[in-house]
Amino acid sequence: MKKSKLLALVLAAATILSTSGCGFTGSTGSTAASKTAQTADAGTKSNDTITVYDTNEIRTMVQWAASDTNSFTIMNNVSEGFYRLNASHEPEPALAKDCKISDDKLTYTFTLRDGLKWSNGTALTAKDFAFSWLKQMSADATNNYGFIMTDYIVNGAEYQAGKAKAEDVGVKAVDDKTLEVKLKQPTPYFVRLTTLPMFFPLNEEFVKSKGDKYGLDAGSMIYCGPYVLTAYDPASGSTLKKNDSYWDAANVKVPNVKVRIIKEQSTALNAYKAGELSRVILSSSDVPAMKSNPEFSSTNEFRTTYLQYNLTDKTLSNKNIRMALGYAIDRKTLAEAILADGSAPATGLIPNYMYGNGKQTFREINGEIDSFNASKAKEYWEKGVKELGGTPTISLLTEDDSVTKTVATYLQSEFKKNLGIDVKIDSKTKKARNQLMDDNKFQMAITAWGADYDDAMTYMDLWTNGTPYRGSYKSGTYNGLIADAKKQTDDEKRLQDMLTAEKTLVADDAVVSPLYYRGSAYLTKSNVKNLVTHPFGAPIEFKYASLS
Amino acid sequence: MFRYICKRIVYLLITLLIILTTTFFLMKKLPGTPFDSERFSLLPPEQQTQMLEKYGLNDPVIVQYGKYILNVAKGDFGTSFFYSGQPVSGVILGRIGPSALIGLQAILIGLSIGLILGIIAAWRHNSGIDYFTMVIAVLGVSVPNFVAAALLQYFIGLKWGILPVAFWESWKCSILPSVALSFSVTAMIARFMRTEMLDVLEQDYIVTAKAKGLNQFKVLMRHAVRNSIIPVVTILGPIVVNLLTGSLAVENIYSIPGIGSLFVDSIKTNDYSTIMGITVFYSSFYIFVMLVVDVLYSVIDPRIRLASNGKGD
Repeated sequence: MKKSKLLALVLAAATILSTSGCGFTGSTGSTAASKTAQTADAGTKSNDTITVYDTNEIRTMVQWAASDTNSFTIMNNVSEGFYRLNASHEPEPALAKDCKISDDKLTYTFTLRDGLKWSNGTALTAKDFAFSWLKQMSADATNNYGFIMTDYIVNGAEYQAGKAKAEDVGVKAVDDKTLEVKLKQPTPYFVRLTTLPMFFPLNEEFVKSKGDKYGLDAGSMIYCGPYVLTAYDPASGSTLKKNDSYWDAANVKVPNVKVRIIKEQSTALNAYKAGELSRVILSSSDVPAMKSNPEFSSTNEFRTTYLQYNLTDKTLSNKNIRMALGYAIDRKTLAEAILADGSAPATGLIPNYMYGNGKQTFREINGEIDSFNASKAKEYWEKGVKELGGTPTISLLTEDDSVTKTVATYLQSEFKKNLGIDVKIDSKTKKARNQLMDDNKFQMAITAWGADYDDAMTYMDLWTNGTPYRGSYKSGTYNGLIADAKKQTDDEKRLQDMLTAEKTLVADDAVVSPLYYRGSAYLTKSNVKNLVTHPFGAPIEFKYASLS
Repeated sequence: MFRYICKRIVYLLITLLIILTTTFFLMKKLPGTPFDSERFSLLPPEQQTQMLEKYGLNDPVIVQYGKYILNVAKGDFGTSFFYSGQPVSGVILGRIGPSALIGLQAILIGLSIGLILGIIAAWRHNSGIDYFTMVIAVLGVSVPNFVAAALLQYFIGLKWGILPVAFWESWKCSILPSVALSFSVTAMIARFMRTEMLDVLEQDYIVTAKAKGLNQFKVLMRHAVRNSIIPVVTILGPIVVNLLTGSLAVENIYSIPGIGSLFVDSIKTNDYSTIMGITVFYSSFYIFVMLVVDVLYSVIDPRIRLASNGKGD
């Protein structure tokens, strides 16, 4: 009797759970197609939906709180700035019709297109930009991205620190269609910055009406991008639908988009084969088998992984030792044979394809300033050892994820082979590694930086503050070059400053040894065309994609 | 019984406070802040202080602790750092459902198959079915659930296309993860039940029952099973807690937005309020299940008395 009561109770609980609390995200029970593996090549199961995935949760949809690529990706597709990156990663007018730049390059006047509307029908005006930019520069912004405006906009930093009023900040909605922006110094990449999510507009009235609930679900936001969000759950993903009130809706070809969260690489591959995904990122071990597949392709990101030396360390303060370590690494083998995931060997700190002068990329202009040379390595090592008065012991601090550990082991073997030394690997969680670096308790560490925007300054600026995290590098020459580049009105001279600065940092002072530019190798279903991946900011762009 | 339960609830609260306190101070020993450290370190010092103050992270740890406990007493678990601005209670509640559903289904599958296998194996001791059960039990215990999960995903999901490969879109999506999790439960229950039944079947009262002329089935169900089930109930407590609170590996393999991965991620990202919120949830749930198990003992076997009424017992 009692047992049957217990059973009834358990079953009732199960029913309640299965009908209410478990929050299934889809409405249909999509079983993997029965002929899955065989039909995988034919494309995704749906012919009106692109399905991609992220390996991490989509943390937030609140613009002034978001700092991760997954959130940026969704935002970039449901919202838009004055400019948007086109398929070849160049900025193109989006919500702005055009932008006029004053002769002193300090005043930017953006003019909006006619008839722009939010997804709820409200008119989109220049005030929406002013509100959102001020919000990003205020103390409310929790994404630590305030600098991306306050570094450039007049009185931005003062406003952030509470020392200036909103009306003193160099952002003014002159009328409904015009936003005037005053900059502290000429910034040739300012227009490119407006493609980033931090610069997207927000409707003050709507945001304030939602209060704390703003951005928590799809219904508590309004949209102005190619798509609108129809469902948003940080842990299971988002669904997007084409935004009919978007100004360029006629050119948005894919009606539906799904972004799932898949943390397990093998699950993603199985889901791709079952036709549940339009694209899958491959791990190094899968690349050799898939390379001949017509669906295979790879891209490079603006993300450089490098070896950071601690200049306050007794051993690493010796430049010859640092030069030796830098020369001892065969980066080509590392990127192409060890990582083999689309990554490219680093030839300098600034990654391939980053903006240079419009004709050539920065990397093409500055050439190879960081290379492998075993005999030079040996030579510098011997010089260094002599100066130090004995062979030093060196330990390499790394993060404990599988890729970085692979890289560390490879470096260890290179140092053994080319310098004859045993480097100890100290692998820590990311937080612990960062803490050790901040506390100046390391000799050299593997770390990486992904570009915030498409200009070398996103990297060069990092080594100006002399923090332990950046090896406590304090150089008058370097800081002088960067300071000059920041106020230079002549683009050519500015570029020269930056080129010299990179050489100073990498080749002359050997503060860092760039290792590789991260890449991704992936398979894309043959029916999916033009699914663009940008090398920085919000990577995946659905606007230009189509399904055949 | 009522007095006993009240007393246990008081103990529950005290235990909870001890767990919370320990976790809080241990958690504060984790390196780093809840903010993206590379970006955070680039901020000017005054802005760093501003950020820390905004979240009360600049106060001495003991003050932070006091504030936290007061808020928890008021039912406020704070907002998540990782999912900026989302209330922790909402984040956790949203993730319990999927984990609890697959956990519950795994227990139902494991318990029913395990009990049946255990009973039959004991009843037909040293027969083919007994050996078969033991092989299942050894396999179930020794094959980790993520291996089972991966195999099920590959064959049933991808190769034969019977059920969804992964995701959390309909009830069908919950079947494979539940089955993957149920293997070890089946194995454990079967093994315990068999051993205990073998012991009970040797007892005099079973012989008496048989001698009374009761049929095999009645002897088994009324006398043997009822007396063998106590140890099973004991292990069921921890199993229920383990399964209902999510399994990181299986959740990741099937891309289920469950609580197992939330807990691990919150620790990795120093999401203090979420770590604490999940700790409160896990520990109160665990203590509660233990209480239920104790109460169940007396329901199954009235000879077990929960509270002593004064002297001697």
